[in-house]
Amino acid sequence: MTFGSIAQVAASGLHVGCIYALAALSFYVIHSATGILNFVQGECIMVSAVLGVVLLPWMPYPVAMVLSIGATIVLSLLTERLVIRRLEARQADLFIMILSLLGLMIVVRYGTGALFGQEEYMLPGPAGAGVIEIGNSVFLPYQVILIYVVTALTFAAVHVLSKRTWLGRSLRVAAIDPIGATLIGVNLVRVRVVAFGLGGFIAAMVGWLYAPLYAAGYMVGVVPGVKGFIVMVIGGMASPIGSLVGGITLGLVEVATARYFSSLYSDATAFVVLMGVLFLRPEGLIGAKSRA
Amino acid sequence: MPPSGAGSSAGFVGPESALLRRRAAWLGGIAVLLLVPVLVRQPYHITICVNLFITIMLTLSMNFVVGFSGQWSFAHAAFFGAGAYIPAILSTKLGVSPWLGFPIGVACVVGAAMLIGIPIVRLRGYYLAVCTLALGFLTEVFVRQATDITGGGYGIQRIPPLELFGTPLRGAAYYPIALAGVVLTGLLLSNLMRSPLGHAIIATRDNPEAASAAGIDVAGVRLFAFVLAAALAGSAGWIHAFYYLGLDGSILTTDRAFLWMFMVFIGGLGRPAGVVLGTVFLVLAPELLGFFAQNQVLWVGILMLAVALFAPRGFGGLLDAAMLRFRPAGRS
Repeated sequence: MTFGSIAQVAASGLHVGCIYALAALSFYVIHSATGILNFVQGECIMVSAVLGVVLLPWMPYPVAMVLSIGATIVLSLLTERLVIRRLEARQADLFIMILSLLGLMIVVRYGTGALFGQEEYMLPGPAGAGVIEIGNSVFLPYQVILIYVVTALTFAAVHVLSKRTWLGRSLRVAAIDPIGATLIGVNLVRVRVVAFGLGGFIAAMVGWLYAPLYAAGYMVGVVPGVKGFIVMVIGGMASPIGSLVGGITLGLVEVATARYFSSLYSDATAFVVLMGVLFLRPEGLIGAKSRA
Repeated sequence: MPPSGAGSSAGFVGPESALLRRRAAWLGGIAVLLLVPVLVRQPYHITICVNLFITIMLTLSMNFVVGFSGQWSFAHAAFFGAGAYIPAILSTKLGVSPWLGFPIGVACVVGAAMLIGIPIVRLRGYYLAVCTLALGFLTEVFVRQATDITGGGYGIQRIPPLELFGTPLRGAAYYPIALAGVVLTGLLLSNLMRSPLGHAIIATRDNPEAASAAGIDVAGVRLFAFVLAAALAGSAGWIHAFYYLGLDGSILTTDRAFLWMFMVFIGGLGRPAGVVLGTVFLVLAPELLGFFAQNQVLWVGILMLAVALFAPRGFGGLLDAAMLRFRPAGRS
């Protein structure tokens, strides 16, 4: 167990953790403003990657990327408009809400499988295929460095947005007290559209960060989706910092478990940590407030 | 409000006759279903029936834990898979009798469900959904990766068949076992729901605070419901393993738990008769309409979404509404 191998494990764990953190953030921005845990987020990650594969042969790289991210945002907005707003207008149970979101998740997943086929494709990464070598034991592909950078920028941007701008404050106040928020002039519909648009945008970015390192296909959203909402629950729903810390911790623990014990247990760690947190600190590791 | 039962003919009122009629209906139904393997000769049709019975066991137990006890259980496919894999591995690799595998498998499922259930029965809503979903997903990954134990993608093949007095039970001879599984599940759940414990289960779903004030151990009752449903799913797994005599990881994916949940919802959550009818329809429709079979979970998902958005009480609810409309002089 040399220094080099530890550094490599840390670097890999960090990029896996950044993916989890960003996926958790895309759940968080929607949950924090609307109280909804949108299970379709994982499928947004998948749709953006698969659309990338479909569009790339026809157009220049940046255009394909922008179009696929735009289409994913539309999918997220449609989820809100066609399913969630309808159910809330009827004051449907939380039960039906959860079930419908899971139903939509399955329909998007298998609908994509039926339309685009069940094969897995390569999605070339936005950062190109180069690798930086540090002291000939640590290898950092450009894509991994891009993941670090985008994660840092996204979390910083969401932090500034939520603390420093009128829009961010209205997002937060809408979550705490929707009626009071309308009284002070917050447009709740706009808040929701912004939250779902932002959630869809972050998920779409995750698609372009995650898929190039693995593959693009109709099942690709499952792992980041499941891990993303586990991380949001572990990190606590009070602040995005919880998602960042929770995501990176989980990524490091998973990669270290796979490297030093067995990959058999690496997925179990997420579940064990989730159970432990829910049992001991139902409000999450960071933050004191929780809303079911 | 007129007294209930005022419309029925004299001589057939009172709880005793209701009980008799119910028993007659059960026995009649079993007798008719027992004739199926005599009349149907094609092995493929037997397979459809066995698959249908297994699926009904799963949707009835899902309906019990979700509809009556009010708890999500997306780990249902994992419990089903454990109930199938454990006896299959024991009999294939260690030569344990498949009959003995049944109690061992169910005991393991009960143990696992209790261990997991103790922390999670306190959770509700999104948290419970996420937790059981994560557990189902974890099991799925474990079975795919633990190739030494589960055979990974290849799975467990050449499982020895059940034997009775030296004759292997296969095809039509296996049919009564699957039928017994579904009948016992139905009887157990319908009797349970009419017992004091059944009423306690409903009470903890509808109003846990009031139930607790009335002296019901809410966590205990919820745990019982969770574990019982898991045990029934595990039993269905045993029936599955020794009919098909081969298993792979695809039997316990979380997507199958979603499929069963959607079937329950389409049939009418908390309405066992609707759930059975819905399951029969959704299992047989792909066999009759070829295109449907390719992507069952997709079509059932679309149907479920349509029901959730436009007919939130499922087809059972639609049936009730239709009955009310055709009985204008009925109770208000």
